[in-house]
Amino acid sequence: MNSHLPILIFLVPFFVGVSMPILTAKRPSLCPDITLAAVIVMFLLAIANLYMVQTEGPIEYALGGWTAPIGIAWLNDSIAAIVVLTVTVVALLTLIYGRVIVSADLAKSVPYYTLILIMISGLVGLVFAADLFNVFVFLEVAALSGYALVGAGGGKAQVYAFRYLLLGSFGATLYLLGLGHLYVVTGTLNMADLALRLPELMTSTAVVGGLIYIFLGLSIKMALIPLHSWLPDAYTNAPSAVTPLLASTVTKVALVAWVRIEYSLIAPNVEVSHVPVLVLLEELGVIAALIGGALALIQTDLKRMFAYGGISHIGLILIGVSLGNDTGFVGGMFYLINDAVMQAALFMIAGAILYYHKARTLDDIRGVGLHTSPWLTGALIVVAVAMVGLPPTGGFFGKWNIILGALEAEHYFAVFAVIASTLLTFGYFLKVFAAWFHQTEFVEAKSIKISSGLRVSLGAISILMIALGLMSDSVVQILLESVNNGGI
Amino acid sequence: MIQPHDSAIVRSLGHVVIPIAQLFGAYVLVFGQHGPGGGFVGGVVIAASMIMAILIFGVDSADSTLARKILHGDGLGLLLFGGVGGLCLIGGGQFLNYSFLQIPGLDEASQHYAGILLTQIGVAMDVAVTGVSIAVSLSFEEDEISQDEVKDA
Repeated sequence: MNSHLPILIFLVPFFVGVSMPILTAKRPSLCPDITLAAVIVMFLLAIANLYMVQTEGPIEYALGGWTAPIGIAWLNDSIAAIVVLTVTVVALLTLIYGRVIVSADLAKSVPYYTLILIMISGLVGLVFAADLFNVFVFLEVAALSGYALVGAGGGKAQVYAFRYLLLGSFGATLYLLGLGHLYVVTGTLNMADLALRLPELMTSTAVVGGLIYIFLGLSIKMALIPLHSWLPDAYTNAPSAVTPLLASTVTKVALVAWVRIEYSLIAPNVEVSHVPVLVLLEELGVIAALIGGALALIQTDLKRMFAYGGISHIGLILIGVSLGNDTGFVGGMFYLINDAVMQAALFMIAGAILYYHKARTLDDIRGVGLHTSPWLTGALIVVAVAMVGLPPTGGFFGKWNIILGALEAEHYFAVFAVIASTLLTFGYFLKVFAAWFHQTEFVEAKSIKISSGLRVSLGAISILMIALGLMSDSVVQILLESVNNGGI
Repeated sequence: MIQPHDSAIVRSLGHVVIPIAQLFGAYVLVFGQHGPGGGFVGGVVIAASMIMAILIFGVDSADSTLARKILHGDGLGLLLFGGVGGLCLIGGGQFLNYSFLQIPGLDEASQHYAGILLTQIGVAMDVAVTGVSIAVSLSFEEDEISQDEVKDA
C-alpha cells in the first residue's frame, strides 16, 4: 500500500473537489470544513510519503501498471516528496487563514472551494509527473483553476484574471509546441528516456528550439522577468483569502517542473553554438533577481511590493539551480521551499491588514503597528528577517548555499546578484517598517484582537520559517540524497 | 437567448436527426474498444445532438429536457473515471490497472474491457456536459436576460 501514496495524495483533493457539489448540496456552509479536512488528510499522507521515500528510496509509480517508456509514470523521489509536503503545509495554513479572511459571498461558494481543491491536486500531479505531456496537463489543471480563483472576487479582478488567462494560455501553447518538437525528434516524452537520447541531439535545431519554447512557456507560468507582467496585477486584485495559496504555490511549482526538465535534459557544460546554456539561464535569473528587487522597492501598494519580491526570488532560485553544481542546486531547491512559505506569510499579513484596517498602501499603514495586533507585527518581523536572509531562518541557509555554489562555480556576478537582491529586499522592508511604526501625532498604543484562526496560521507559519532554518541541515541532506541517487 | 426555430422543416427534421445522432454517439463510444472512436469523440457527438435540440426547440422546451438535466451532472463522469481507478487501487494494483478490477465472474480480458468501457463512459459524460454547458452559457447574454426580466416585471 505504501507505494500508492503519490496517487492517494493526488486523489484525495481531486475526489473531494469533484464531489463537493454533491457533498454540500444540502448545507453549503460545510464547504470550508470539508476542504480543510481533505487538506489535513493530504498533509498526513504527504508526511507518510516523505518518510517512505526516506526509508525505501525513490520509486517510480506506473499508472495502470504500464511501466515507464510505454505507459505514464510518476516519479516519487525526495524532491517531489518534500515539495508536495510544502504545498500541503502551505495549503493547510492558508485555508485556516482563509476561513477568517474570506468574503461573505465566497465563504459559501461551492465552486470556489472546488477550484481550490482541484488546483491543489493539479499542483501535486505537476510535482510528481515524470513525462513532459503530464507536466502540460497538470500545469493546465492548476493554471485554469488559478485563473478562475484570481477572478473569483469579481469586479476589477476579472480583467486581470482574463489577462492572466491570455498570457497563461500563450505560455501553455508555447510549452506544447516545444514538447511537440522534442517528440518529433526523439519519439518519446518520458523524461528519463529523453535524458538518454537528448545529449547527442543537442546540435539539432529542432531540439534546441523545442527546449527554448518549453522554457519560454514555463517562464510565463513562473513569472520570470520580463514575462512577469500578469503576476502583480493578478495577485493584487485576487481575493485576499486565496492569494497566499496562489502566490506561494503556482509559480514555484511551475519552476519545479522546469528544474526537473533542466536537471534531467540539460547537462552541465552543454553549449549550443558556443553559448553555455546553464550560464545563460543563470544570467536570466540574475536579471530577474535584480530587476524584481528594484521594482519591489518603488512600489507603494503592499501586495504589489510583495508580489515583486516573489518575482525577484524566482530569479534567485533560478540562479541556484543553474549553477551546475550540487551545492547551488540544493541551495536553490531549499530556497524554493522557503520562498513558498515566505510568500504565503507575506500575503497573509497583507490580506489581514486589508481586512482589519482597510489599509492597502504604505500611506494607509502609517502607524498601524501601534494599534494592530502583536501577532501581525510579530509575523511581519519574522518574515522580514527570513526574506532578508538572517541566520535563524531558512532564507539565510538557502542564500548561503546558493552563494557557496556560485563561488564554487566561480560565477562572481551571481554572488553579486544574490547579495544585491538581499540589499534590495532589506530596502523595501525598511520602507514597510518605517511606515508601520511611524506615527506623526501621539496616539495611545492599543492592540486589536484578531480571530484565533488567524493567530494559529500566522504563528504556525512564523514557526515554520524559523524551523526550516534550524532543520536546514536535514532538509539539505534529503535534497542532496535525491541528487546523488542518480537524479530527480 | 436562443429562440426556438419556427420552420416546420427544421423542427420535423430535428425529431428525426437528433435520435440518430445520439445513437451514433453511443455507437462511437462503445466501438472505441475495437476501432477508431472512444469516450471523447462519442461524448462530442452526444453533446452535438443535445446542442442541436437547444438550437431547434429552445432551451425551455420539452425536447431539450435531457440537455437541461445533464447540466447538473458536471463532475459525475470524473467520479466514474476516478471511481474505476480507485476500485483498481482497492483491488491491490496501481491506479487504473484493470487487471486488479475486482468484478465477480469476469476473466482478465473482460476486466480490461469493462474497465476501459466504464472509464470511457465517464469521459463521454464529462465531455458531453462540458459541450452543452458551453453552448448554454454562450446562448445567454446577461443584458438580454435582465431586459427580459424587466419586461416580465
